[in-house]
Amino acid sequence: MKGRTEIGWLFVAPAVVILSLVGLVPLITVVNYSFFEIFILDARFWVGTEWYADIIGSGRFWASFGRSTLFSAFVLTLQIPLGIAIALCIPKRKVWVGITLAVVALPLLVPWNMIPSLWLSLLNSETGLLGRMLPYLGWPSEWQLSTRHTWAVLIVMDVWHWTSLVVILCYSALTTIPVAYYQAAAIDGASPWQMFRHIQLPKLHHVLLMAILLRFMDSFMIYTEAFPINAGGPDGTTTFLAVDLGEEIKAFNYGPSAARSVIYFMIVLTVAWMFSKAQGKLDRGERS
Amino acid sequence: MVVYRYLPALKGMVLLAFILFACLPLVQMTIISFTVTLPKPSAEVGSLTLSNYASIWNNPNLRSAFVNSIAYVLINICITVPVAIPAAYAFSRMSFSGDKHLFLAFIAFRITPPVVLTLPIFQLFSALGIVNSVFGIALAHCLFNLPISIWILQGFISAVPKEMDETAFLDGYSRPRFIWKFLLPQIAPGIAVTAFFCFMFSWVEVVFARILTTTNGKPISMAINALFGFQTDISLVMAVTTASMIPGAVLLFAMRNHLSLGFRVGRV
Repeated sequence: MKGRTEIGWLFVAPAVVILSLVGLVPLITVVNYSFFEIFILDARFWVGTEWYADIIGSGRFWASFGRSTLFSAFVLTLQIPLGIAIALCIPKRKVWVGITLAVVALPLLVPWNMIPSLWLSLLNSETGLLGRMLPYLGWPSEWQLSTRHTWAVLIVMDVWHWTSLVVILCYSALTTIPVAYYQAAAIDGASPWQMFRHIQLPKLHHVLLMAILLRFMDSFMIYTEAFPINAGGPDGTTTFLAVDLGEEIKAFNYGPSAARSVIYFMIVLTVAWMFSKAQGKLDRGERS
Repeated sequence: MVVYRYLPALKGMVLLAFILFACLPLVQMTIISFTVTLPKPSAEVGSLTLSNYASIWNNPNLRSAFVNSIAYVLINICITVPVAIPAAYAFSRMSFSGDKHLFLAFIAFRITPPVVLTLPIFQLFSALGIVNSVFGIALAHCLFNLPISIWILQGFISAVPKEMDETAFLDGYSRPRFIWKFLLPQIAPGIAVTAFFCFMFSWVEVVFARILTTTNGKPISMAINALFGFQTDISLVMAVTTASMIPGAVLLFAMRNHLSLGFRVGRV
């Protein structure tokens, strides 16, 4: 068991100071702004919870909320199983492991604002490697006019960008399984599926929880990558939560954008809380 | 079962397909970066050229962007890692009042989208006089890098047997000296992995990088943005993007064995 000692606070103090500066103080500022009508920062009027009522009452907010939820659902159902599958496919031989991991991780190194440009040029119907092939498969050249096709591009793009992170995390957890486990399972005549279900998957629980948390939140609040593909269109059907917020900030609507930020942070807190509950459950399951 | 006999071959094919998928946009990018896309007197559109890479080298803005990016990422790592190590140690080894809540708060900050905090961070950093400098970006990126580093390092520290601590304390070592002399060498691969993750998340981040550098200190991503205009030379854009991936790719290649050794992912 861990020794109980308040000295622990001394060790986390530097981290607390930095995160207060870049996280907590800005957050309190945002909460403060969210109750005011602000034209310039020196002249403000108390409006109470008016902005909140506006946002919660607007159909636009709930529509964006629904779209973001749907997008996250797609992203998670594709990325998590695919990430696990790829991690299981990585060869056991030493030399190839490193090289495979390095190649797989390459998409993570592209600057985020360039990811849409990469995909747009890939899908370009005259010069793109994919774009020249796709029309033969029934892909319309005017795909940006179609909601379904825009969604497909966004989802494939996100899968391309982030599955590697799931792969790296899962692979790292898989390597911590002692060889003896596999040997014992082989002696018992376990099938590959049984090995996965009873040996590999339990080891992945914690890392999967973290991967789901990171991927859920980052896809739920997707901003930089999503907008340039089709400017939130066609007809606003790919306008996600963070895109709405970005628009308000660009328009210098301090009050409403602050209220929106606070609402989004509430979502973040709820998700983090559910995450810690799930983690506690996993820990108890392991001990018993 | 017959299916299982073909499992290794199937695995190889799945992996290969995924690698092709992962590389496809990058191949496209590299091809464009070597072609002429804007009509020029010296070369025809569509012909092969190295001129895009030459213009990166000759353009002082782009050169300084590379320097800025490397600088802020290094500063970020130098802040994050030393701060994260004691915190990860505390979360791994000690129990103090509110530790679980604190960890929850850290995780909440990791998943807070930067766009939520852009405005106040800009104001705060203006007041502190660190906008338009690489230091400002480095500090802002601690918002997501610090929690993730603590989380990764905690796993590595938890993998070190607790008896090591106790023996060292019996020999009269204090906690800080124990961390410095015994723990750090043990978790060296963990520090490398952490530094790599910091690099990865920081190098490509755009939202903070954009608002904190309006006039000066622009990193690569913003320098690329500045290339878009009335007549965008997309091949130059792709060349800069390709070049921007080189430091990361080198680091990744150097790190590949650390990554493949695996790390235990920790918890409180």
